[in-house]
Amino acid sequence: MADLLGFVLSGLVSGALYALLATGLVLSYSASGLFNFAHGATAYLCALAFHELHSAFGWPAVPTALLLVCVVAPGLGWGLDRLMFRKLAKVGETAQIVATIGLLVALPALGLWIVELLEQAGAPVQPAENQFGLPGVGPSPAVSWQLMDGVGVDSDQLITWVTTAVVAAGLWLLLRHTPLGLRLRAVVDNRSLVELRGMSADRLSSVAWMLSSALAGLAGVLATPLLGLSAHDFTLFLFVSATAAVLGRFASIPLAFAGGLALGVLQNLVAGYASFADGLTGFRTAVPFLILFAGLLLMARRQRTAGTAAVDAPPPDYLAGRSWGRRWGPWAAGAALLAIAFYTVTTPFWSGILAQGLAVSLVFLSFTVVTGLGAMVSLAQATFVTGAALVAGLLMSQGWPFLGATLVGTCAAALLGALVALPALRLGGRSLALATLALAFLADQVLFQTGWLRNGDTGWAIPRPVFGPVDLGDDRALGVALLVLVAAVVAALSALRNSPTGRAMLAVRSAPAAAMASGVSVVRTKLLLFTLSAGLAGFGGVMYASYNTRITATDFTAMTGLIWLAVVVAAGVRRPQFAVVAGLVFALAPHLIADYVTESAHLPVILFGLAGLALANDPDGYCAAVSVRRHRHRVSSSPAPPLPESPADSRIADRPPGSSSYAAEEDSALTLHEIHAGYDGAPVLHGVTLTVRRGEILALLGPNGAGKTTTCRVAAGLLTPRTGQVLMDGRDANRQTPVHRSREGVLLAPEGRGIFPALTIDENLTLHLPHRTDRDAVYERFPALAARRTVGAGSLSGGEQQLLALAPLLQRPPKVLIADEPSLGLAPRVVDEVFRLLTELRDAGTALLLVEEKAAEILGVADRVAYLAQGRVSWCGPRAEVEADRLTEAYLGIDTRTEGNDTRTEVSGP
Amino acid sequence: MPRRNRTRTFAAAAALLLAATACNSAATSASGGDKGGSARGVSDDSIKVGGIVSMTTSSGYSKRDTDLGAKARYDRANAEGGVNGRKIDYLGAEDDGQNPAKNLAAARKLVQQDKVFAISPMSSVTFSGADFLNKEQVPTFGWGTVPQFCGPEYIYGFTGCLVPMPGGTLTQAWQKGLAEVMGGARGKSVAILANDNDAGTFAIRTYKQGFAAAGFDVTYAKAVVPATSTPSDWSAYTKEILRSDGGKAPDAVVSVMQTPYNIGLFTALKRTGYQGVLTDPTDYDPGLLAKSTSRKALDGVHVLLTFEPFESDSARMKQFKADIRKAAGKDVPLNMHMMTGYMSADLFLAIAEKAGRDLTTASFQEAAKGFKDKGTLVGDRELPMGQKESFGCGALVQLKNGRYEVSSPYRCYEPIPFK
Repeated sequence: MADLLGFVLSGLVSGALYALLATGLVLSYSASGLFNFAHGATAYLCALAFHELHSAFGWPAVPTALLLVCVVAPGLGWGLDRLMFRKLAKVGETAQIVATIGLLVALPALGLWIVELLEQAGAPVQPAENQFGLPGVGPSPAVSWQLMDGVGVDSDQLITWVTTAVVAAGLWLLLRHTPLGLRLRAVVDNRSLVELRGMSADRLSSVAWMLSSALAGLAGVLATPLLGLSAHDFTLFLFVSATAAVLGRFASIPLAFAGGLALGVLQNLVAGYASFADGLTGFRTAVPFLILFAGLLLMARRQRTAGTAAVDAPPPDYLAGRSWGRRWGPWAAGAALLAIAFYTVTTPFWSGILAQGLAVSLVFLSFTVVTGLGAMVSLAQATFVTGAALVAGLLMSQGWPFLGATLVGTCAAALLGALVALPALRLGGRSLALATLALAFLADQVLFQTGWLRNGDTGWAIPRPVFGPVDLGDDRALGVALLVLVAAVVAALSALRNSPTGRAMLAVRSAPAAAMASGVSVVRTKLLLFTLSAGLAGFGGVMYASYNTRITATDFTAMTGLIWLAVVVAAGVRRPQFAVVAGLVFALAPHLIADYVTESAHLPVILFGLAGLALANDPDGYCAAVSVRRHRHRVSSSPAPPLPESPADSRIADRPPGSSSYAAEEDSALTLHEIHAGYDGAPVLHGVTLTVRRGEILALLGPNGAGKTTTCRVAAGLLTPRTGQVLMDGRDANRQTPVHRSREGVLLAPEGRGIFPALTIDENLTLHLPHRTDRDAVYERFPALAARRTVGAGSLSGGEQQLLALAPLLQRPPKVLIADEPSLGLAPRVVDEVFRLLTELRDAGTALLLVEEKAAEILGVADRVAYLAQGRVSWCGPRAEVEADRLTEAYLGIDTRTEGNDTRTEVSGP
Repeated sequence: MPRRNRTRTFAAAAALLLAATACNSAATSASGGDKGGSARGVSDDSIKVGGIVSMTTSSGYSKRDTDLGAKARYDRANAEGGVNGRKIDYLGAEDDGQNPAKNLAAARKLVQQDKVFAISPMSSVTFSGADFLNKEQVPTFGWGTVPQFCGPEYIYGFTGCLVPMPGGTLTQAWQKGLAEVMGGARGKSVAILANDNDAGTFAIRTYKQGFAAAGFDVTYAKAVVPATSTPSDWSAYTKEILRSDGGKAPDAVVSVMQTPYNIGLFTALKRTGYQGVLTDPTDYDPGLLAKSTSRKALDGVHVLLTFEPFESDSARMKQFKADIRKAAGKDVPLNMHMMTGYMSADLFLAIAEKAGRDLTTASFQEAAKGFKDKGTLVGDRELPMGQKESFGCGALVQLKNGRYEVSSPYRCYEPIPFK
């Protein structure tokens, strides 16, 4: 019993640290959708700073810790948010994962570099290496107390517990009982709605990152006595604490916190009672990753099968329609030059490095399959490399020929790939990335610790093959052979992409549900992707090992795989050629930098981390950055596709687009003038002009796809028009963000419900009405809300939710309300109630732009009506002039000359 | 271009390239050793020597000072007139960052670009450049803790090969030293603890046999401590250890783990009131005395070292300290990495001296065969025996009141066969 108590108590120490890290992960994730792989690196950086300031400069422990946790770490979080995370929130998931992997290595290197510079400047710093038994905040050595037989605590443990408890209480207070906390929770719940409510989600995200960073810093300072100054250990610690974040589903801070504590205890209990596994080398080492893997499988919510396309939109094909020569000519020429260079200009050293680059290119090509084609992030590629090479080496030591051994090794890797693919059937995105990472660590710590497979630290010799007269023992010969192989694989992958199988893969990537509906097996496709990629990685691995002439189990670790992914994605993962560029850069760059730029070992690593910054701007990688930008520019400057001739078009020609000469009519609250807008080269609005006046309801009607929601988004500032003007109160508002416009009084009630489902009714109201008296007035008016004010808004019925969204507006009427289908999915009785509220708003002076698909009901409340068809206003006039057949025609998209004339008179204003 | 033509063109180009490779590779596969009497990196008045050392690492463990140790030894050699009239041109150590790819790249750079005659020191946990160096016939000297120092013709450990090979021998320095400290091995129980990975399992296998052969009663020998990060809680391990000798605590606890683990384990054992002998083979680092936590954790611990302790007052140790001070330009705390660099350089110099004025790879290898000397900082050296087994010398020092004291003086022991 004392054993058990002891295990639980001391498990709570690592548990507390896990909890701090996991909470930070959840905070930053919910604020910007980023899983921060570099969270542990932040902790390390603070531990390093604490060590230098406290031990080397002699600063007192507690103030130093406070300074780091309360000032330095939040500052770092703020800076990174401004520089990177904010932009990354808007790019695809792969780029997000990779950018923070870059930071994971860059931040520790930055810290060490600063120490190096300080040392050169003569500051009394201590080396960051070989520091053991470091003091923490408390007394050093730690004071210990024996509670009962076999159960003791020491001062470091006590400090960790107490601090963590205080932080937990503080976080609870902050999030539950302050306006800032309320906003933070709102941003977690629905980021875009927060913007529409006039709160800057960017600023809130900065706050979340600062808090997150502070928590990492705190964990770092507290963990110093335990982990020392090993960046590697801090990162491993972070991966384990990711389990707790998974338990909290990356959204619930209390769950993540509790999960962290439980994780520490569970890990300790397993370590304490795992004597059953003594025969299995590596089992105890692997316990945290077993828990992580199991947690991911059990806890991760099943991914939505639809809509992943939005997460990782494909880049524009800037070479579409180009000839074969344009597409491949430069690459073929490059390859030929490289082959010639091997035998003419390169010295033996550079030949070797180039051959190495080509070998690693083969491995990198495997990323273009699983991540490029399949949009799945695999962090286990290094496992396939090691697995294949070990198997091949084992067979070669038994006298197998090179080709046979390579084939079997490749198959073994493919088999491993199929195994790793199993979680992919259930998981996606960052959960899948973490699951593959957990498997990679499990392979390192258990599978590759198997004596007969790894052959101790000696590993297996993989002699370079000799085929008849071709002796690959010569680096140049190996280089050319690898070049041929790489070219063949690139050609094969390009052919695969254009084959039916490749199209099926792309279909599964962008819309699994639709792919399933058209008879593509998602399971088979995902398995195939992983198997193929693993096989390719394995084959590349054997070739790489044969460049090294040996494979040992520690040559390519899970961490290597992480770095590889970052290197490939930084170059671009969508085209196989880019992987080759990545491989060559990976091999050449360190030597070029060492020769021509700097001797410091840290600077190249920091530069590599900056690739993450570049990804924030060019998520498709540096290889394509210039071409993609040029392509975007070309598309946006090319004229829109020709449209059916209409009077509106002739008017556009009269006035230069975007000219500021337009003056709004006098009592207009919101004016859209000649708006042309669309999404990434797909135009939707072709010159929409609308005016909403104070105290009037303008109903915007139109069929599906007419551009109604796009009009709303332009009006609210969520979408910037290509040309045209948005005017508020007669002033140009084109450059104003949604937040700004909302603060100026232009509110958008988006399609669906404009509420925060995870917040209570009272909290939803508080966001709009900070004063209690205002809220009380709302409750008086809507007793149904008053009775359930502490209930989560998500549990209300659709009608009640819509009432909740509108109720606070009645108390404080906005200048302009843009309501996108407020009656969507509501019962007719509720629709009447909603429209009654809208009329009330109009009477209070609000200008309403009401978008509806169903015309019948809205005609009862609208003052004026505009028809939107095919991206332009086909008719606009007072309700009284609305005729049934005109309505029908508008919906059918039929445009007649007479209506066109009407449009002109009405749109140009009285 | 139509698709079929494309494929054909591609295949033809590939075949052509491979054919060209064939013609050339036959003519160029000569190894980089000696050609016509002059050796790579050897001029009339100098010998070019490089080094490979793990300096920057992500694990916070660095062997940086190895470079200083080597420099100190070469500086003295040059001050004394060099080797057979040639000065040592030591290029300094390349940093391999404990990264296998960088280790091989560093070896290639030193040989192919800098054209060194030899590499000394090479000290890293990874040695993927070994095959390349051996093939290119580059004499390489370093810390023989990895198996690449055991076997390859051109690679030498400065204390011999420290990885026991089945069929080879096991050194008895630690066991005999401990027996001396404990007043004999007979009837004394020891518990051995290692990390939960393949290396730990192998260590348990060798030390279990070694301690049993020396007469100890091995009551506990397990590779169970998680290998990736230090446990925050040691009670699970200490409980088992303290009950291992028939319910009692063993007379000695032997840790074959790294410093952070030892600090945790020994602290936990002491808190339970354990009074027996603690010992490990890694914690001889005067730098550890600077921190109160490590000083307290390691107090009383007997540490094995395979070279003469810094506490010794022999003439050669005084020379070592003077050389280091001179190379560093000031008094620096000594550590085992300096010794690694210093003695790797020393072994290279000794063999080069023996090879004579006509220095080529062949003459160097010839001199190495049957090389033998006595009474150095690493005891009695003998080649090629040292490429198969350890020189077998060692001492134990005990940390007492904040300083190391020799508890079993440096001497060489007869090894036993490793089964």
